[in-house]
Amino acid sequence: MPGRQPEKGRILVVDDEEQIRLALARALTARQYVVEARPEGESALRTVDWFRPDLIVLDLNLPGIDGLEVCRRVRATSEVPILILSVREEEADKVEALNLGADDYLTKPFGIEEFLARIRALLRRAGGAGVAASSVFRENGLEIDVEQRTVRRGGADERLTKTEWALLDALSQHPGKLLTHRWLLERVWGPGYEDDVDVLRVFVSQLRKKIEPDPSRPRIIVTDPGVGYRWTLRAGEAGSGAAAEMA
Amino acid sequence: MSTPYWIRPEGAPVRERSERRSALSLATLGARTRSRRIAGYAIAIFGTVALTLILLPFRDNLVPLSKGFGFLVVVVCAAAVGGLAPGVLASVIDFVVFNFFFLPPYNTFTVARAEYVAVLFVFLGISILISALLARAQERAEAAEAREAELRTLQELSADLVTSLPGRDTYARVLQRIVRVFAFDAASLHFDERLFGEATEPVTVGAADPIPMQWDPSWEGRAPERLPLTVGGRSLGLIAMVGDRPPLDPRESRVLRAFCDQLALILEDERLLRTATQVEVYRQTEEMRRSLLAAVSHDLRSPLAAIKASVTDLLDDGATHSPGEVRAALEAVDDQTDRLNALVANLLDMSRIEAGMLRSRAQTVDLEEILVASADRVAAQRPGIDVSVSVGDSASLVRADPVFLERVVVNLLENAVTASTKATVREVRLEARRSEGEVVVRVIDHGEGVPPNIRELLFYPFYSLERRGARLGTGLGLAICKGLVSVMDGQIWIEDTPGGGATFAVSLPAAESSSAVPPTPLPRAQEAGARNAGPST
Repeated sequence: MPGRQPEKGRILVVDDEEQIRLALARALTARQYVVEARPEGESALRTVDWFRPDLIVLDLNLPGIDGLEVCRRVRATSEVPILILSVREEEADKVEALNLGADDYLTKPFGIEEFLARIRALLRRAGGAGVAASSVFRENGLEIDVEQRTVRRGGADERLTKTEWALLDALSQHPGKLLTHRWLLERVWGPGYEDDVDVLRVFVSQLRKKIEPDPSRPRIIVTDPGVGYRWTLRAGEAGSGAAAEMA
Repeated sequence: MSTPYWIRPEGAPVRERSERRSALSLATLGARTRSRRIAGYAIAIFGTVALTLILLPFRDNLVPLSKGFGFLVVVVCAAAVGGLAPGVLASVIDFVVFNFFFLPPYNTFTVARAEYVAVLFVFLGISILISALLARAQERAEAAEAREAELRTLQELSADLVTSLPGRDTYARVLQRIVRVFAFDAASLHFDERLFGEATEPVTVGAADPIPMQWDPSWEGRAPERLPLTVGGRSLGLIAMVGDRPPLDPRESRVLRAFCDQLALILEDERLLRTATQVEVYRQTEEMRRSLLAAVSHDLRSPLAAIKASVTDLLDDGATHSPGEVRAALEAVDDQTDRLNALVANLLDMSRIEAGMLRSRAQTVDLEEILVASADRVAAQRPGIDVSVSVGDSASLVRADPVFLERVVVNLLENAVTASTKATVREVRLEARRSEGEVVVRVIDHGEGVPPNIRELLFYPFYSLERRGARLGTGLGLAICKGLVSVMDGQIWIEDTPGGGATFAVSLPAAESSSAVPPTPLPRAQEAGARNAGPST
């Protein structure tokens, strides 16, 4: 809106429930985002073309073209962050959407603060702040340099195996993003291992022992039960901005 | 049990004699063999006596050989009629009589010439040989006849099994045949509980109560005949039969056992079919339950999500809201709370309907008044669509619960109006016509119409979830309408509107116009539960 602070980003909200659409649009507009809201997939895809959103909030349950299909078609041409909205019964669809390239999800009903925090995190990541700008992570005496393949904790070197490095590499390249089991397995172990969630679990646990201050209460590699993992450290920073945001 | 339970109950059909004739009873086959044997003995004895009396005056004029041939005729006759035993008896008697009366010296057993001894024993030998040959031929004929009778009986018993579908009616007909063919009074088919479930009652014919499988000797009357039904060594049940008749002879048992094997196969077929059906029914119920749950949770969570988002937005200190935005957010919360409330009310109604707890307060209702009031209400909510009402002669008074009826009509009207918003003919007609003892109310629109294959399904809760747009309601409306209509002893169904569109029809019992009861005005008072919930689609 003219006269107010400069816009923070352009957001497209796609939800078939009018009241949710309106509530989200209202909340985002009040915080200086520029918002377009659409009730179904077809018009949402057209809007993506001219509106060029910085982020898409996408409900899975849409009339006509469903959320998954919208996700797929958007990803075919654009890397714009996608935040999925779902209800608990759409668990499988949610994971599939993440596998298709969606970046995060929220389960309805949700509070607006959490919604805004996710949006901020996604926009920041997309803004280039975290995406492999640097491959060095520092926090509380922990220093990880992915490029140089070194992990130092309390002044001492930790030795990581080849697979652990590959896993750390995959996780740390997408700080803040929820990475599904399937995506990680395919990325680290290759095609054909997509369903070996137990293997992934074992290696994540090994990796945590080497980098987490308290492996039983992980803060760097956070579990999203049944869905995947999220890397919360931000490159080149001391402190834990992203971790605080996600907690 | 004071009286034997196989006493024919009052009014039970008496077996027709002519029916019995149709089957060559295996029992009569045995009886016939016995009577022929008796006839054979009679021929042996009385034939010999008669022949002796005839030949005696001429015994001096005849050579022994001629007399011998005469007796041979008696032997052949006895054997031909009665078989081996009468034949042998005749041979021995005639051997003695021939010797005593017709071989000189007469009236003694001594024989004058050695040659006669040879004649005598040749006679005896030939007699017995002929008897044996004749008897064997006859036995073969009888065996063939018996086998034919067995087969015919089996065929007759199986006729129902082969031509009818498995089921209790067929089993009853089959038992009827067994009872008739084997001259029992009553029979029961018991199903094995482990395979068919405890709920499977025995099929019984000819008696009011099933004939028990276990026989208590202290009861009066004869123990029932019991035949097990097995397939591959597994028992499927048994047939128990009682009647005023001798125990089954081996031939009858054989036929019945063969028949029981066939029946057992049919039972097994039915059992497998039933298991498959049960699995299928369970699967469908499960599927429906899951989609119902998903629908309910979606419908509950969507308004909750809107409320939560609006409220937390207002609570958040990080943003400044204009008074207009605050008002919009609060209105949204208000709106969604109403929606949740309506959904909960509908869910409660649905569960009341399904639990059979909803009672209709049926009274004589002026249909026209309700139709006009409903039409006005819907037209006021949804301007732009023309709603007309037409009530036929003598269609005005029905027996119905006025509150229920109004809910149903409003709900159908709202659906019709929604369906008409995109139609070219934007009008909805509401009409009532008398047909015999009923009045049929029709809500007629010119929208897209309903394909015949989903007309039934539309009345299931949440059926429309996948096809409905965001605009529509909870997916319970039509299910509730159906429930309300059926507690008012009416029916609801969907027809085509001529020229395109859907017609929802509701039939209700007509009230007689001669009745002095004045038409009931619509109750304004709000009642609990079903009576105050807003209608929905």
